Amino acid sequence: MSYAIEVKNLKKSFGNLQAVQDASFTADAGEVLSLLGPNGAGKSTTISMLSGLLAPTGGDASIMGHSVVSEPESAKKSLGVVPQDIALYPDLSARENLIFWGKMYGLRGATLKQRVDEVLEIIGLVDRQKDHVDKFSGGMKRRVNIGAALLHKPDVIIMDEPTVGIDPQSRRHILDNVKALNRQGMTVLYTTHYMEEAAELSDHIAIMDKGRIIAYGTHDELIKLVGRETRIDITINAEGGRVLEAWRSTEGVARIDALDGTLTALVDDSNRVLPRLFDAASKVGVRITSVDIQEPNLETVFLHLTGRALRD
Amino acid sequence: MKILDIALKDLIRSTRSLFLIGMAFAAPLLITALIYFSFGSIASGNVDMPTINVGVVNLDVLPANSLLEAPLGESIRSMFFDESVQSWIHASDYPDEASARGAVNAQEIGVAVIIPASFTEDYLAGNKDTVITILQDPTLSIGPTVVRDMVTSLLDGVAGGGVAFKVLTERSEANGQALDPATIPTFFETYSTWYANFQRAMFHSPDKAALVVKSPAEKGDTGNNVQSMMGMIMSGQLIFFSFFTGAYAMMSILQESEEGTLARLFTTPTNRTTILTGKFLAVLFTVIVQGAVLLTAGRYLFNIRWGETGSFLLSFMGQMFASVGLATLLVSFIKSSKQAGFVFGGALTTLGMISGLFTANIQIAAFDLMGNFTPQGWVLKAWKLSLAGQPASELVVPFLVLTTMGIVMFAVGAMLFRRRFA
Ligand SMILES: Nc1ncnc2c1ncn2[C@@H]1O[C@H](COP(=O)(O)OP(=O)(O)O)[C@@H](O)[C@H]1O
Ligand SMILES: [Mg+2]
Repeated sequence: MSYAIEVKNLKKSFGNLQAVQDASFTADAGEVLSLLGPNGAGKSTTISMLSGLLAPTGGDASIMGHSVVSEPESAKKSLGVVPQDIALYPDLSARENLIFWGKMYGLRGATLKQRVDEVLEIIGLVDRQKDHVDKFSGGMKRRVNIGAALLHKPDVIIMDEPTVGIDPQSRRHILDNVKALNRQGMTVLYTTHYMEEAAELSDHIAIMDKGRIIAYGTHDELIKLVGRETRIDITINAEGGRVLEAWRSTEGVARIDALDGTLTALVDDSNRVLPRLFDAASKVGVRITSVDIQEPNLETVFLHLTGRALRD
Repeated sequence: MKILDIALKDLIRSTRSLFLIGMAFAAPLLITALIYFSFGSIASGNVDMPTINVGVVNLDVLPANSLLEAPLGESIRSMFFDESVQSWIHASDYPDEASARGAVNAQEIGVAVIIPASFTEDYLAGNKDTVITILQDPTLSIGPTVVRDMVTSLLDGVAGGGVAFKVLTERSEANGQALDPATIPTFFETYSTWYANFQRAMFHSPDKAALVVKSPAEKGDTGNNVQSMMGMIMSGQLIFFSFFTGAYAMMSILQESEEGTLARLFTTPTNRTTILTGKFLAVLFTVIVQGAVLLTAGRYLFNIRWGETGSFLLSFMGQMFASVGLATLLVSFIKSSKQAGFVFGGALTTLGMISGLFTANIQIAAFDLMGNFTPQGWVLKAWKLSLAGQPASELVVPFLVLTTMGIVMFAVGAMLFRRRFA
């Protein structure tokens, strides 16, 4: 059992819809693996199978070496799941919720109490622990939602889009929590459709689209898929034809196209190339009115692989 | 252990639901108390009541756009003409206040009831300035009081309907669902039928009508008649609300499924049978506590003797099994908690009515017959036997019937649940 999470040819169909098709990936113990993909990619369905909620149509997965199909109870013991939607009892307090969920993971007595106190500390809600959850802001609910999965100190924690629809401050808090948990040795499977989060948190990233894992690797490995070229979008105060020719022959410009009023250049190093573009424009009497530089990122990778944007 | 944790969690949540507490404890006790006090601390002895001549001036007209089918004044008027009171009330119509006043002065009638033209409109608008005038022959005492009580109790009924209606709309709005306007008249109709029956039962003889106004009773044997009637009335309430409470508590399964906590429970190392069993246990416990509280309250607040220990226990246990069974079955058919208000309202009210729960103190052959086919009907049979002081041996059959019904309904419901959630 060398992997904390191992997913092998996992499949799930809902009637005719193949929500997950032959997904395979692994996570080493102690790493953060992000599952990045747009809405409807099949992330939640994959996670539901990993957490024992849905039976796979085919394939298997294991958590700490325990198959979710043949030894679901053992797999669940090693696992903490943070559902995409808040799953708490609104009419119970934060503390009561944590106590209840701790009991469901088999904690009792002094250990339970101690873990609840620790988790309240981690999620930063010690002061509000006696308030009913329905009195909480969205961000606070999300934190309790996460806390409930940490009580039994699982080896593996799965978080399904934990930052959707919350304020930047809570989001920061959650991302920092993820890093802290990971530093303590927890393996984290983190799903998101925000490429910034995947880039910030992950050791490895699996990109998912239409039920398939379409790319897997470290952040840098994935970026290399699209080359290292930077994209520069430029608008000018004149018709493009005049300057286009001059720019095409500028050193360091791999390619330049005019697309509805915007000129898009792919260059090897924007720091070196941009001054030359300004010079060339001045020579032909054209003013540059805006410049937008985009270093290659996961968004570009997704675009490159699927022809579509990650977010719509 | 986890079973108990789950049950305990559900019980804590129940105690935080004002609606559930209201329906489980407050409503049945309040309704019984209202009936109790409308009997004015209960009469003693036989009452010899002369026929009362009542003159009715009904000027009330139905306001535009009203959901009612007839003005309230008409209901009040017809109460005095109802055949159930003909043995002791002789009613006649008068065209206006002046002619009625003349008739009272001439002692042709003992009491005149004058209902003003905008009565329905004002009453429903909550405007208490418009009043029904009751003119009385000063030499009479009991007749006018009875008449006044009849009017008041009918109006209380209307107000009660309003309250029930408000609960229904608030409940459905809380569920994010506007009440279909088409169902409003049906609701009022159902309610008024029930209330009319209730009224008939209360005023069908001068004896009972007189009970309304008699002076406070001395403790003693003569209260028996009324006491047994209170027993019947309260057992009707007890049964209705026990079934309601069971169903409502069982709904927490749907709620959990909607809140996502059921799915989350399934991701913990807790097997599904444990989870469902814990939830059933909570419902069972809720129904037991509710029954125990209501039975105790009935005993000490209303002096109801529920029966011999054995008979009492058999009735209570039968009621418990049947409510949990029916609750499981009902909830297993419901798709979402949004539907629940309507299904419970509809199914439990209908079953309650045809089982005679709302008319428990009178004999209605059709209800007795239909009651043979409903769990509520059998619970009522059991309580009637127990209240009548029958020994436990007489309750074995109803108990067995209830246990069987309970087990069958539970089994079918639990199977449907398992198929759905496990
Ligand atoms: N229970 C279900 N029944 C039918 N279709 C489903 C169900 N759950 C998810 N789907 C479909 O499967 C696809 C993947 O959904 P999901 O796993 O939720 O995607 P993601 O989490 O990446 O947004 C979507 O097309 C979704 O509509
Ligand atoms: Mg999802």
